[in-house]
Amino acid sequence: MKQYSIYGIAGIATVLIALSFTNIEPGNKAELGKLLFFDPILSKDKTISCASCHKPEFAFADTATVSKGVEGKRGTRNSPTAMNVMLRRPFFWDGRAKTLEEQALAPIENPVEMNLPLDSAIQRLQISRAYRDYFKRIFDSEPSKETVAAAIAAFERTLETSDSPFDKWKFYDDSNAVSATVKKGFEIFNGKGKCSKCHFGADFTQNDFRNIGLFNGKNLNDSGRIIVSGRKEDLGKFKTPSLRNVSVTGPYMHNGMFKTLKQVIDFYNEPEKAVSNSINRDSLLAKPFGLTLKEKNELEMFLFSLTDQKFVNTNAAKPVSFRKK
Amino acid sequence: MKTVFIAMTILMLLSFATDRLIGRWETKPSENGNVTGVVFKPDSSFEGYVNRKPFVSGKFVFHDSIFTFTDNGCDGKQGIYKIVFFSNGDSLRFVPINDSCAQRREGMSRLIMGRVK
Repeated sequence: MKQYSIYGIAGIATVLIALSFTNIEPGNKAELGKLLFFDPILSKDKTISCASCHKPEFAFADTATVSKGVEGKRGTRNSPTAMNVMLRRPFFWDGRAKTLEEQALAPIENPVEMNLPLDSAIQRLQISRAYRDYFKRIFDSEPSKETVAAAIAAFERTLETSDSPFDKWKFYDDSNAVSATVKKGFEIFNGKGKCSKCHFGADFTQNDFRNIGLFNGKNLNDSGRIIVSGRKEDLGKFKTPSLRNVSVTGPYMHNGMFKTLKQVIDFYNEPEKAVSNSINRDSLLAKPFGLTLKEKNELEMFLFSLTDQKFVNTNAAKPVSFRKK
Repeated sequence: MKTVFIAMTILMLLSFATDRLIGRWETKPSENGNVTGVVFKPDSSFEGYVNRKPFVSGKFVFHDSIFTFTDNGCDGKQGIYKIVFFSNGDSLRFVPINDSCAQRREGMSRLIMGRVK
């Protein structure tokens, strides 16, 4: 009897392992998009996929200041989270992509990211028998720029999160879901900290562009939105990012210059102290906020309450002082 | 005695009026599948959300179909709207009376919501 049990367990284990190696065929646009998102086939040397810089465990952001592309090349901007994009537009720090579809294709061609001409990328997919079959079944056509963009965008639209302690407090009316400190932090967020002036909305952004004072034309010389719009007033402006899962999406700002939320809060509290020669800084940040240490901590705890259940138990989702060394 | 009676009647009427509003209301999914909702609470606070993501919190007074409120957007500006109930009180829409916050006015004027049962 004991022997049969052992055979049984061994049999089940074999089936499970075999299943784990089975390539699950995509059944819809989003599943095909997921396959493409994780497949390095879309990069020049087949080493980099979208997921190389938008890592699932960090809410589809990157922990590097700026991500590494093909041949170790690095860009100048931090990889933002690819989650919670359904209500967002435009895309990229400077808003150069009007739609998610447009955004999905850009990194493939970017010389410091995947560095593969789009035509070559599409050709690779057309040569692949598996991809040809998937696109035929799902789009009733061969792989093309349009269908690749549609698939990746469809996948990205599935990456919505709405299960954080803050959501439980506000949506489900569970006042025990967050601490009194978090509630105080939310007051500061809406009041003295002025955060909600820009970070207002379901994803804590109004999708607009602001110059927070990280452009001085010298060591901080990324001129941001002006490159796209050509408008003088857009000098040094960048898109206001979402704050959902912000505890795991560091480092922060368009150039990844701040490693922790504490540093971010300190910066906003007294921007002049960090960058004294900034050009065109938003008038909202004209004077120091005068946050006390206690208020800064409360604000930080509020920001941590925006972490979805998926990430809440990861080390990154804890304030620095609570992390395991 | 008469004064007490009148005061109690007014309180009851007010409470009845507010009761019509208390609870969860949601739009039908939009073309993109987005659902906007709001919960009006008995303590005169409300929470608005899109796709189960909270985005606005505020305080309101509801009297004689007039909904007066402030929230954490729009620089604390007050909004005044008439609430029109229809479909036996199971649906509502907002008609702006006074709201200097243009973005909010535009958004709220478009909303048609049904009671979530």
